Amino acid sequence: MKNELVLLLIIFIPIIGALILPFINKISASFRNGFSFAVITFSFVFSFLLLPLVLKNQVITIFRYFPLGFNFVLTADNLAVGMAIVASFISALIVLYSFDYIKHYENQNEYYSMVVLFLGAMMGLVFSGNLILLYVFWEITAVTSWRLIGFFREKKHILRADKAFLVTVFGSLLMLLGFIRMYQETGSFDLFTIKEVVKMHPISNLTIALILAGIFSKSATLPFHTWLPDAGVAPSPVTALLHAAVLVKIGVYVFARIFVATIPISLPWQTIIPVIAGISALVSAGAALVDTDLKRIIAYSTISQIGFIFLGFSLSNEIGIAGGLLFILMHGLAKAGLFLCAGIVEQNVKTKDITQLGGLFQVMPVTAVSFLFCAFSVMGIPPFGGFFSKYMIISGTLQEGHLLIGATFLFGALLTILYLFRAFNLVFLGERKNPSLSVKEGSPLMLICVASFALLSLLAGIFIAFPNQIAQITAQQMMGIR
Amino acid sequence: MQTILISFIFIPLIAGVLAFVLTKSVRGICALLAVIVNFLIAIFLFKKEAICTFPWAGFGMDFSLRLDHFSGFIILAAAFFSLLVVIYSLGFFKDKDNSSQFYAYLLVSLSFVNGALLANNLIILLFFWEGLLLTLFGMIAMGGRTAFKTATKAFVIVAISDLCLMAGIALTGYLAKTLMISEINLPLGSLGSLAFILLAIGAVSKAGSMPFHSWIPDAAQDAPLPFMAILPASLEKLLGIYFLSRICLEMFKLNPDSWLSIMLMIVGAITIFLAVMMALIQQNYKKLLSYHAISQVGYMILGIGTALPIGIVGGLFHMLNHALYKSCLFLTAGSVEKQVGTTDLEKLGGLIKKMPLTFVAFAVAALSISGVPPFNGFFSKELIYHAARDRGVIFYVIAVAGAFLTAASFLKLGHAVFLGKPRQEIKDVKEAPVSMLMPMGILALTCVIFGIFNYLPLNSFIQPILGERLKEYSLAGSSGDWVLVLITLAVLLGALAHHLIAVKISGNALKAADHIHYSGVFSVFYSWAEKKYFDPYAVGIKLINKIAKIFWSVDRAIDWVYASLITNITFAFSRVIHKIQAGYYIIYVVWSLVGAFAVMSFVLR
Repeated sequence: MKNELVLLLIIFIPIIGALILPFINKISASFRNGFSFAVITFSFVFSFLLLPLVLKNQVITIFRYFPLGFNFVLTADNLAVGMAIVASFISALIVLYSFDYIKHYENQNEYYSMVVLFLGAMMGLVFSGNLILLYVFWEITAVTSWRLIGFFREKKHILRADKAFLVTVFGSLLMLLGFIRMYQETGSFDLFTIKEVVKMHPISNLTIALILAGIFSKSATLPFHTWLPDAGVAPSPVTALLHAAVLVKIGVYVFARIFVATIPISLPWQTIIPVIAGISALVSAGAALVDTDLKRIIAYSTISQIGFIFLGFSLSNEIGIAGGLLFILMHGLAKAGLFLCAGIVEQNVKTKDITQLGGLFQVMPVTAVSFLFCAFSVMGIPPFGGFFSKYMIISGTLQEGHLLIGATFLFGALLTILYLFRAFNLVFLGERKNPSLSVKEGSPLMLICVASFALLSLLAGIFIAFPNQIAQITAQQMMGIR
Repeated sequence: MQTILISFIFIPLIAGVLAFVLTKSVRGICALLAVIVNFLIAIFLFKKEAICTFPWAGFGMDFSLRLDHFSGFIILAAAFFSLLVVIYSLGFFKDKDNSSQFYAYLLVSLSFVNGALLANNLIILLFFWEGLLLTLFGMIAMGGRTAFKTATKAFVIVAISDLCLMAGIALTGYLAKTLMISEINLPLGSLGSLAFILLAIGAVSKAGSMPFHSWIPDAAQDAPLPFMAILPASLEKLLGIYFLSRICLEMFKLNPDSWLSIMLMIVGAITIFLAVMMALIQQNYKKLLSYHAISQVGYMILGIGTALPIGIVGGLFHMLNHALYKSCLFLTAGSVEKQVGTTDLEKLGGLIKKMPLTFVAFAVAALSISGVPPFNGFFSKELIYHAARDRGVIFYVIAVAGAFLTAASFLKLGHAVFLGKPRQEIKDVKEAPVSMLMPMGILALTCVIFGIFNYLPLNSFIQPILGERLKEYSLAGSSGDWVLVLITLAVLLGALAHHLIAVKISGNALKAADHIHYSGVFSVFYSWAEKKYFDPYAVGIKLINKIAKIFWSVDRAIDWVYASLITNITFAFSRVIHKIQAGYYIIYVVWSLVGAFAVMSFVLR
């Protein structure tokens, strides 16, 4: 019973915490900040406590019957716990960074409660064992991200937030249709029941296509991707949260949950998904090479990298799937670092246009080095963590015999190197475009956060054995080998 | 044994981190101690064999290290060059502030090179190999405020070849079902050939072969000079050619009948010729040397590509010789730069009186690279000539033509820098300090020893690598074909005669190659090369930017669908609906009649 309680607490402490946050503000603002950090850290620590259990192949399940298939089902397996750890850890560091970043702005109450609610919904979604429950949490994240993207309340920002909301909700309605068809075909919304049924009756292609549309719109994959770069108008910690820790990883996670761990995808989809992912990776990488807004460049980079994760999960071999799982971790760490560095630059120089920046290495060395480290990890240069995830996915692709797809993604990896160097060189090297402006380094707390992401990207590569072992066990569990 | 193998990686790594944080007075000593210890361990372990494996990342990615004769030899060579370059840097960086970065990058590079050489697992090899990108970028970028452009260029070019290597390793691992180098033995089938090509791209481009060369001349101008002596001139060549030999000898067993052997030879021959043509017209000491660093790789690839034992021995021997004389040459360029303040050939001249010892070192190294007997370059080139002639006369002719041009360009260089009249500006130039002279002297001396006593390196270093392939005979002395030797001598004398005549006509050593530079077809090609039409990087970046523009417009088109098309359709639709119910009495009557008619026709049907 104790483990079930832990599971419930991981989800509901942040959700309830988000609701009482505004009242805590009556006591003191810094207490509220500390509380929101504590709540997220709580989810992280308790998810971590579940890890030893699930690694022993134990699955913690909570099941309450409700009519019409709306059962309340929570399952904690390797995949769910791993994802929860990554998301809550990155979110905790991002919240720490926001203390200094967000203190200049209004609506801080809303900010902190939305962020905590966001994380709570993410935790709920990760542990959901029922499609309807999953859908409910999915939409909570859509609403919170809508509020967070439009945080600055300008007309343009609100339009961008609406765009993000409309595109993702359009996708999720298609996904809901897919879930309903799934119920008609299998007679249940519960994932473990579906898993048993589909062994006899494969799911129709239309259902799969509908669910995929929802996943692609949430994970900003072509052709549903343009809301993500537009969401760059949000405060930097929010974009870091959307891109690195929570929002786009939701789609990827649900893909892994449904199409890898529950319904093994049928043969044509094993080619269709990599092709979509490949086009998405290339188009967005190309766009990143042209755009001149620092945050939009990093956003396109996210779209491009998400393509790699989808590729990994669409492979039916262990190394590819483990590579995809590892990629979620490595990309999360590095991309959060990149966005937070961009946030420091944006806040201190007051511009995001890389053609207006330059020579910032001298004035903000810590930010510059952190940015470079995170960029190396995204590029996949050893000894940074991104190297292993990239190699494992490419290796898995070649093992499947997809030579052309492998070559496409290698080209994507090359473009990644080019656009990240372009951004780094224009922002941090060369001559100062505006030498009269006095620019200072970010606050110590912000620097600690970005430096931690940079160092963690490095350490994750050097001590690859630990994350990789977990990824391997998880991949085996998902494929049903263990 | 295991701890000693690991120490090859960790001693330089830790020392590198220390050198970065220590104060200026201690960091040089720290770096020196680390390379001395590294060198001593390398001597101690030479000729020993060991394999040790630690479990690491799963999926066959074990941390496996192997010391055998071949890797022991290359590690020894790498340790030797690092030691000399660190000694040299003590003098070179004496009054520069950024030495902490340089020592740190150099030591970390050494650590990664050692790791890549010892790696018995392809992933470990790739891990260290690709990790060198970081120090490469750092070492070039520290050269000045605009050096980062060259650093990025180098990074991108090397990263492309590393991506090929990565794909090759993934494919090899899949075909061989193992990532252990010592256990891989693949046939050159269709996929096997693809894997071989991808791995070979990684190897030859690390060595600096065409078409992955174009960052080297740029780096020669921007990066601090000891960088050129340590990475492009020695460590990268050693590493690249080492891995190429591992692929050809061990993992795939390349034989002369294979079309891949011809491919390698073509790459080698093209690299020899084009790079030396570029070297001939350079007006800068360092840049001229850097083109030779590319050209000489061609000989090594040609030698190994012949897949004949004599050619492989020649290629490996040439690798060693090249590292000796080319790092010596770069170091002489460094002392000229430090003492005179420029490496522009137009501003140099008559340095023989001011810097006699530097000149002696330069002369020995220049004679070696030109392949003059009895210096070391002569013997390795003869072996390569022999093998090339056996595989096809065209390859031999190109190799000899390369030798002619090499000799011509070094005559030009030496004449322009050290002979002739001293310029006004460089009157009070002094000889370089001892810490810089000593490494040059040692390298020049080794060139002589490895030439006269060439059986020493051949018998103790090179020939055991081939093991049984070489049967009983020794290749020391010469290849045993006197016709080839006579041709070589004739060519060298021709180069000397050509130089003297050209100088006499033009009246200036610097213009000794101008009649080639500005003659007919060549002048067109040279002007194109100067506009960077032949730089694969410049061309590739232009192309990729065009592709990126296309992708960008695809992205904008998709965004237009959401931002304009769908919103406009929605508004148009709602305008129509709006008009239908705008409150006009007559429209409602019409709708009621239409409705009534529809109901009636349905009921009465």
